[in-house]
Amino acid sequence: MPDLITQQVQKKLWQRLQNSFSSEVAEEFLQTLLTLMQFVFVVNADYRRNLKNFEGRYQFCSKDGEVTIAALFHDNRMEVMEKKIDKPDITITFRDGRTLLNFIIAPRQDILGSMLRHDVVTEGNLNYLYKFGFMAKQLQLMMPQLSQ
Amino acid sequence: MITLDDISLKDFTLENLPRLQELRRLSFARKPEICIERARYITRYLRDQDDPDDAPEVRQAKKVNYFLQHKLPVFHDRNLLAGSTTSKALGAPLFPEFFALTLWPELDTVSKRAKNPQQLTAEEARELNLDIFPFWMDNNVLELTRARIVKEKNANAAESLRLFESLVFFIAAKAGCISHAVPTYAPVLEHGLSGLIGMAAEREAASRTQAGEAGIRQADFYRAVQIALSGIITYAEHLADEAERRAGVAADPAVRQELLELAGICRRVPAGPAATFREAVNAVWLCQVGIHAENINMAMSPGRLDQLLYPYYKRDVEAGRLDTRGAIELIGCLWLKIADNVTMVPEASEEMFGGAGTVPAITLGGVNADGEDAVNDLTYIMLRVTELLAIRDPNVNARYDYEKNSRQYCRRVSEVILNTRAVPAFFNDRANITALQGQGESIEHARDYAVIGCVELASSGRDYPASSSIMLNLAAPLEMALFQGRRPITGEEQIGPQTPDPATLASFEQFWEVFKTQLDWLIEKAIALNEEMGRVHQQLMPSPLLSAFFEGPLDKGRDLIRGGSLYNSSGATHIAFADVIDSLNAIEQTVFIEKKFSFAELLQMVKSDFAGPAGEKMRLYLQNRTPKYGTEHPIARKNAQNVVRHLFKLYQAHTNYRGGSYRPAYWTMTNHAGLGGITGALPHGRKSGELFASGITPVSGAAPELTACLNAVAELGGECVPGCWALNIKYSPEGDPAQMSERFAQTIEAYFQAGGQQVQFNIMTYEMLQDARKHPEKYPELMVRVSGYSAYFKDLNELMKDELITRTMYDLTNGRAVPYPEEKGGK
Repeated sequence: MPDLITQQVQKKLWQRLQNSFSSEVAEEFLQTLLTLMQFVFVVNADYRRNLKNFEGRYQFCSKDGEVTIAALFHDNRMEVMEKKIDKPDITITFRDGRTLLNFIIAPRQDILGSMLRHDVVTEGNLNYLYKFGFMAKQLQLMMPQLSQ
Repeated sequence: MITLDDISLKDFTLENLPRLQELRRLSFARKPEICIERARYITRYLRDQDDPDDAPEVRQAKKVNYFLQHKLPVFHDRNLLAGSTTSKALGAPLFPEFFALTLWPELDTVSKRAKNPQQLTAEEARELNLDIFPFWMDNNVLELTRARIVKEKNANAAESLRLFESLVFFIAAKAGCISHAVPTYAPVLEHGLSGLIGMAAEREAASRTQAGEAGIRQADFYRAVQIALSGIITYAEHLADEAERRAGVAADPAVRQELLELAGICRRVPAGPAATFREAVNAVWLCQVGIHAENINMAMSPGRLDQLLYPYYKRDVEAGRLDTRGAIELIGCLWLKIADNVTMVPEASEEMFGGAGTVPAITLGGVNADGEDAVNDLTYIMLRVTELLAIRDPNVNARYDYEKNSRQYCRRVSEVILNTRAVPAFFNDRANITALQGQGESIEHARDYAVIGCVELASSGRDYPASSSIMLNLAAPLEMALFQGRRPITGEEQIGPQTPDPATLASFEQFWEVFKTQLDWLIEKAIALNEEMGRVHQQLMPSPLLSAFFEGPLDKGRDLIRGGSLYNSSGATHIAFADVIDSLNAIEQTVFIEKKFSFAELLQMVKSDFAGPAGEKMRLYLQNRTPKYGTEHPIARKNAQNVVRHLFKLYQAHTNYRGGSYRPAYWTMTNHAGLGGITGALPHGRKSGELFASGITPVSGAAPELTACLNAVAELGGECVPGCWALNIKYSPEGDPAQMSERFAQTIEAYFQAGGQQVQFNIMTYEMLQDARKHPEKYPELMVRVSGYSAYFKDLNELMKDELITRTMYDLTNGRAVPYPEEKGGK
């Protein structure tokens, strides 16, 4: 029974992420991505290896101030909170949900274009962003399996 | 000096050079593979064995030595030379000290991406993700620079870093590379690495007897040189072992013999002096491999190989040990070895750098230290190899002194350009030697210049030039001058000083002052960041191995990165030169001379991207009725000269962290496409997003007369452009190649006599390039000149393809630009 529940939750989260691909709402995309990430860390031992000894503090903000989300990686765990945090390793400020999606995970990613057009502005250590981008991409590659 | 019966060596073809034919076929068939071995071993060394109490030079040397000890000795084909820069047949090595971590997001997808995929196994991706990349999170040049700036509370440098990271003002190339150098291998060929190690050991012992910090630092440097160079010898020994092992199991007696010969060569060189031409060529190659163990594979340029190798060639020919065919085969093998690696380009950077090679430059011809003709048999052999192989790397360049070199040499170089459609590039000895003398180089040293990477100049093995330190977008200060220190792309943020609203200015001279205020401010920021990164390089990336191949470090007991070389400049190149000049021209002419538009009207239209019928009317006027750089119009000539002179004066007023000067240059790689694509409209009628012109080349369609165009560029040359430039000219091919070759050579001569420093060509039509874009399968090997380097057209991004297609094409028979065939569906 727990397996069935897990599968259902996974399906729902995957569906929500897929829906957010066509949505303009930043909060939904980001929240879904982070929640899915947290979830897969729990259920997938291989994916969980990304957490091992990783300390990272991420701040996501929308330019209009509507979204302020932090993702914290510490003690082999991931935590998500809706607040400003101290001393983030990297802050990612995005124009809207679509630009963030294009920046992080879209099949036709446009990282440089997003930065050149200032759709996404980063402050801090970009290596943390690269690692986050990898984890997000890995998730994306798992998705067809999750959606079955 | 020329003993060849036929300098074009037409009897030697790929058909009768089957080894080169096969190696060339393989080089086109191979897919790039990411090679992680350097990243793996330097990470292991630093994590498990590094001693932080060692001097930075010693730490670096031990790291390099550890890698070279573990580097896989591989033989991928029947090349006559041993050694490879990576473990893959066509490898993209990773340098985590710089930007390797940009690959992280696409570790699982880089092998399958649509544009220029690079193969990476799942196992290697996993090792990078879990083992290698985490170690470097806070330890690469960029992050150490950031940490240093924070620690020192350096607000000025912090602002510089922010500007750099926004990507639209300037690129601080030290974050991504160091490299860009022309070493000298003459001492290695003469004494062998063992001889250099012995010399360094003696000097270390002498330094240890000196009292004080200086003696210790020198001794540490000499120790580092020994450690680093011994790594190359170890690698050569491992190659010899592997060659012998393979010979033992080879079924084919010819293959067995070749492997045994290779083993013998690797036992002798580069440890000992080179006794033959073949040993000299292989020694040069193994030292190049060693350099790539220490520094990133970008523009590590072997330099004047026709001069370096000629004594060995001559001796072997005279002794009957070598003939022309053998020399061609060995040089061909070297060219193909030099092309055995590519840069790792993350998907995110494809837009800026896609299709670029690693640009190791080779320089041929010109004059010798006495100012006399230096062209020799090897020059022609290398030209023939370049013509036969027609490959992207090495980046071959031909020097020409119109008073000392023969006309037949000029014609032969022209012929090779026409036959390959793109290479080599032509460099003017007279103007370039003058430019280097202006930098305090002795006449003998200036005459021994070689090209670095794209177009930059350096006295061979004497000048450590960091020639791509700054790549500055000139459109940024222009926009900041137009919008009181702001740029449309960065919105309302005040970037530069708040200068007066141009609508309030009474004269063009006042606007020129405003432009200079913004330009100077931005350059100061770029220099401040370069200085910070230079200091980080001194800690993280000293270059004891490379230092051994320069004049100066072994005498001074000082690493290149600490000013050990004889000359120690930093280079700054500029993007959007022609577009900015044309904008200045348009403002001066229409606002202040004709008073056709007010500055306020012009600004409004620029802001709106010339929207509406009135906007389009103004745009057409600006585009078609204002003075253009690349013509003889006095306003255009004055503004171009003023910008070049001002930049020269400004940069030269700064001394870098190694004690040398900053040298301005004008080459753009592919940045003119990427930055043009994101820049708003400009006052010369350029609409938002249109590409900038490349290098120092006039805007496409702006210079209808070839002679006027060449003269307008040429008059900027000499002392004020010590970093040189890239001028791109496209010619339509003619029916009679001999006649075209003659006209071609005459045009070069006239351009050089007028002072032009460099020119490179694409011999192809608009239609041919349009067809190549539509049908890449028909043009798998089509090579083009971008801005200083060569690329395969199919590998370039769409923006760059556009730029190449629309570049002005001239008809040499009448010297006029051929109109762009818009109606035929060009763009």
